[in-house]
Amino acid sequence: MRKSSIIFFVAILSLLSVAGLAKSKLIFAVHWSDYQVEGVKDENGNVKVKGLRQYVEEYQKLNPDIEIEIQSVPFDEYLKRILISHTSGVIADIYVLYSLWGVQLVDSGILDQVPKDIIEKIKSDFVRAAIDGATIDKAVWGVPVEVDNYALVYNKKLLQEAGFNQPPKTWEELVQMAPKLTKRNPDGTIAQYGFAFLSGWDSAVVHPYLALLYSNGGRFFTDDFTECLLTSKEAVEALEAQLKLFKNGATDPAASVWNFPAGKIAMMIMAPWYETSLKLGLKDQYEQTVGVAPIPYLKKPATTGYTWFIAVDSASKNKKAAWDFIRWMTLQNAGGFTRMGELMAKNIGAIPPNKMDIGFFKTELDDLYTSVFVKELDNTYQEPNVAQGQEIKTILMREIIEAWNGRKTAEKALSDAKTKIDKILAEFYK
Amino acid sequence: MNKKMMRVILEIIRYTVIVFGAFWMVLPFFWLFSASLMTPQELMSDIPKWLPEKPQWNNYLQVLKRVPIFTYYKNSLVVAGSVTFLVLFTSSMAGYAFAKLRFCGRRILFNFVLSTMMFPVFIFLIPVYYLMKLFGWLNSYLALIVPFAVSGYGIFLMRQFVMTIPDELLDCARLDGAKEFKIYSVIILPLLKPALATLAILTFIGQWNSFLWPLIVTSTAQRFMTLPVGISRLSLAFSTAETQHLIITALVYQVVPMVIMFLYLQRYYVKGFVLSGFSNL
Amino acid sequence: MTNKKIFSRHRSFERNMGAGYLFLAPALIFYSLFFVYPVLFSFTVSTKRWNMLIPLSRARNVGFSEYAYLLKDEMFLGVFKNTLLYAIITVSFTIIIALVLAVLINNAKFSVLWRFIYFAPVVTPQVAIGTIWGYLYRPSNGLLNSILGLFGFKPVYWLTDPNIALFSIMATAVWAGTGGSMLIITAGLKNIPQDYYDAARIDGAGPFKQFLHITVPLLSPTLLFLTATGFIGAWQVFDLPFTMGRNAPAKSVMTVSWYVYETAFQSLRMGRASAGAFLLFCVIFAFTLFILWIFKRGGIKGYE
Repeated sequence: MRKSSIIFFVAILSLLSVAGLAKSKLIFAVHWSDYQVEGVKDENGNVKVKGLRQYVEEYQKLNPDIEIEIQSVPFDEYLKRILISHTSGVIADIYVLYSLWGVQLVDSGILDQVPKDIIEKIKSDFVRAAIDGATIDKAVWGVPVEVDNYALVYNKKLLQEAGFNQPPKTWEELVQMAPKLTKRNPDGTIAQYGFAFLSGWDSAVVHPYLALLYSNGGRFFTDDFTECLLTSKEAVEALEAQLKLFKNGATDPAASVWNFPAGKIAMMIMAPWYETSLKLGLKDQYEQTVGVAPIPYLKKPATTGYTWFIAVDSASKNKKAAWDFIRWMTLQNAGGFTRMGELMAKNIGAIPPNKMDIGFFKTELDDLYTSVFVKELDNTYQEPNVAQGQEIKTILMREIIEAWNGRKTAEKALSDAKTKIDKILAEFYK
Repeated sequence: MNKKMMRVILEIIRYTVIVFGAFWMVLPFFWLFSASLMTPQELMSDIPKWLPEKPQWNNYLQVLKRVPIFTYYKNSLVVAGSVTFLVLFTSSMAGYAFAKLRFCGRRILFNFVLSTMMFPVFIFLIPVYYLMKLFGWLNSYLALIVPFAVSGYGIFLMRQFVMTIPDELLDCARLDGAKEFKIYSVIILPLLKPALATLAILTFIGQWNSFLWPLIVTSTAQRFMTLPVGISRLSLAFSTAETQHLIITALVYQVVPMVIMFLYLQRYYVKGFVLSGFSNL
Repeated sequence: MTNKKIFSRHRSFERNMGAGYLFLAPALIFYSLFFVYPVLFSFTVSTKRWNMLIPLSRARNVGFSEYAYLLKDEMFLGVFKNTLLYAIITVSFTIIIALVLAVLINNAKFSVLWRFIYFAPVVTPQVAIGTIWGYLYRPSNGLLNSILGLFGFKPVYWLTDPNIALFSIMATAVWAGTGGSMLIITAGLKNIPQDYYDAARIDGAGPFKQFLHITVPLLSPTLLFLTATGFIGAWQVFDLPFTMGRNAPAKSVMTVSWYVYETAFQSLRMGRASAGAFLLFCVIFAFTLFILWIFKRGGIKGYE
């Protein structure tokens, strides 16, 4: 009895492994969370909104010789895991990557060149901001899957209470309005923020600043990345514009992103993916409370954007299969839309960078929240894809926070940042 | 009379301090449990909430539905259990050698063991990952267990315990012709029981809560994920509010078994250190 | 020393020689694989410029320049200062509070219950502790400020004020570590013979005198153990500052391990990060010797 069952198992196992050998296996690394991968399910476990898993299963059914394994790693741990496993030659075939990481990956020869037909399709079908995000050293290195930018998120009720029917259009208006929207506790601490600067992760600090920098006609770097331009007049003015709000008492550096749903922030600058949190936090009050407008400008309308793109590892053994899957997932017309676009718009709640998808998912993208971000895509300046982007961003974040805390003037903070950043640039650009 | 008053006052102070401290110890746990039953709105509300208006027991079900928590329990148990067993084995052997056997380089080797504790964990991430790949252990229990099989702290602790065992006992056994391994297994190990319990608790706790390494070596295979890694999957890309409250609920799932285990094993734990003879090093 | 003794020592030396290595074999094999190799590897890395993406063999050799860079880097020296402050304050407060509590709880009513309560944080993962306290420390809607409010105190920006944040994190660390130290001290207390106290009482010594002249001196080996291991752990602290300190200006809360981690996995400068880790080791090593030396001068022998 026991012997026969062992033989049985061995037979099954060897059958499985033979079947396994015939398949090409693709490992697909993403930073998405559980429901974004597995789909949103109802009480009985039926899929309400498809996740990546359901698309992958569909593809496997169409291509029985392909097996795709999804590796999902939380965002905070994502890059680290890729790096550590890469040092030992353990790679994923397909990655979803943040644009800022791209330069190092490209310079180190990690990414496979994108097939020509895909490049052409990207150039004709995608929004400019997203193409910029996937472009490194003048070449496109992957298919953009998500484009994010920033807008002013405000609390309609609080603005009305203070007698404002419109959100500010210019930064100067914002600086005037914010103190009137600020309430203080008897002990002097802020009970309600007229305007809140967020901190806690580098983008929350750096991206809104860059938006003001661009709005003021400034630039972060020279085109050849040999010099950082943070000491320019435009750059200093942009940070001073922020500091005005600290000086006129409309804000302090302790605001948290959670204060908004609690009705304690009148205005702040946020990204599209925050919508879900707001809806959850405000429930039936959501529509009456939340308003979105372009970021108030200094000289011209501008906002910062960043991109996630999908790319193939140059060391993959199944590059062709990987690109085939990417074509099917991100480019192929699945009835007026792409599958990745559907996943972004319906499940993940991000803006798909494909123009066809932006047109198709009107209901998802044209609501009071996301529609403003979509419109602002035209004014979006992609965060520059510079070598050591993450390190540079962290340096700038720290200096901006020093200035917010009043420990440095805008000029001093930015010139300190420039000194450090220029040193890094000198290592990589000559 | 005066002395009696004094004593009463001292006793009052004593219990006040103990209870005051205990209050602060319990508060965060009370809050954790209470928050695990809150809605996301209550968790984020601007007036701090001590208790949920209506306990959301559903949170616990939600966690079960979203992640296979029993698989994670099983994996954590297998990993923490195996590591603990190996550490007890290797530490007691090495501890015995350092305490009771004489050989060339004993001092140097012992100092070496002590110094291993001082190396930042960071140094080991990449090379040990490489070894795991070399051995083909990635995405298996082995990658989670073997790199933790020896502990410098464990060896040090065991040596201190074994040193308190009188030499005469061992010499008698030697005179009777017992081999060293027999002495170790028949005399030393039984005497070490409380000490082993102490080390077991410490090791088990450490492994149960370990996050970074399991995350790095298991992220392709859910079936090998341990509890902390599995729970981290609940958090969103940019932790929005949706599952924030469930992470708190999941933490209760992680903490409770440890608290119960310790409640049960507490007396062994203290006893182990009592017998360690730190006072006669 | 008599001849006989020398003889017997020599004999047991002979006998034990092979056995010693045999007993150490599992540990030694383990260390050569999982300790010696990684340390050599990381040391090599610390002399190179390596971003973990190119093969290590292609990485440029930079000698000890990363060490030199760090020793001049204002940020690195700053995080060293933070870590030193963190280590000294958390270790000393943890041990002092644990000592007082252990003495108070020893022989108290419900001592098992108290010990259990105080030990609970030790079984809780650091990241969880950081998360829980992060909520409690929230400035406007955290429980801590609402308790302070009851007594008419101003709200405190626990985790965002650059002058306070590191101390808030230390308070949490002390909260989390006290129970473990307390249990070990309790064990030490149980080893002190009751006669000592009886004799002291007959001599008319009050509880404070007994504490200072009997308890503390007789506990000093335990205290040495806690101090030495406490510092080794505190120097490497990562989880708590990393989970709780993200909203504070980094300069005021960042620790060495955090800096090393960030240098490696955000700036992709593995060489510099490894160099930082080795510098940290050197400091821990020197510091531990220093502590053993201090205790030795006080008459407490180390672990030889």
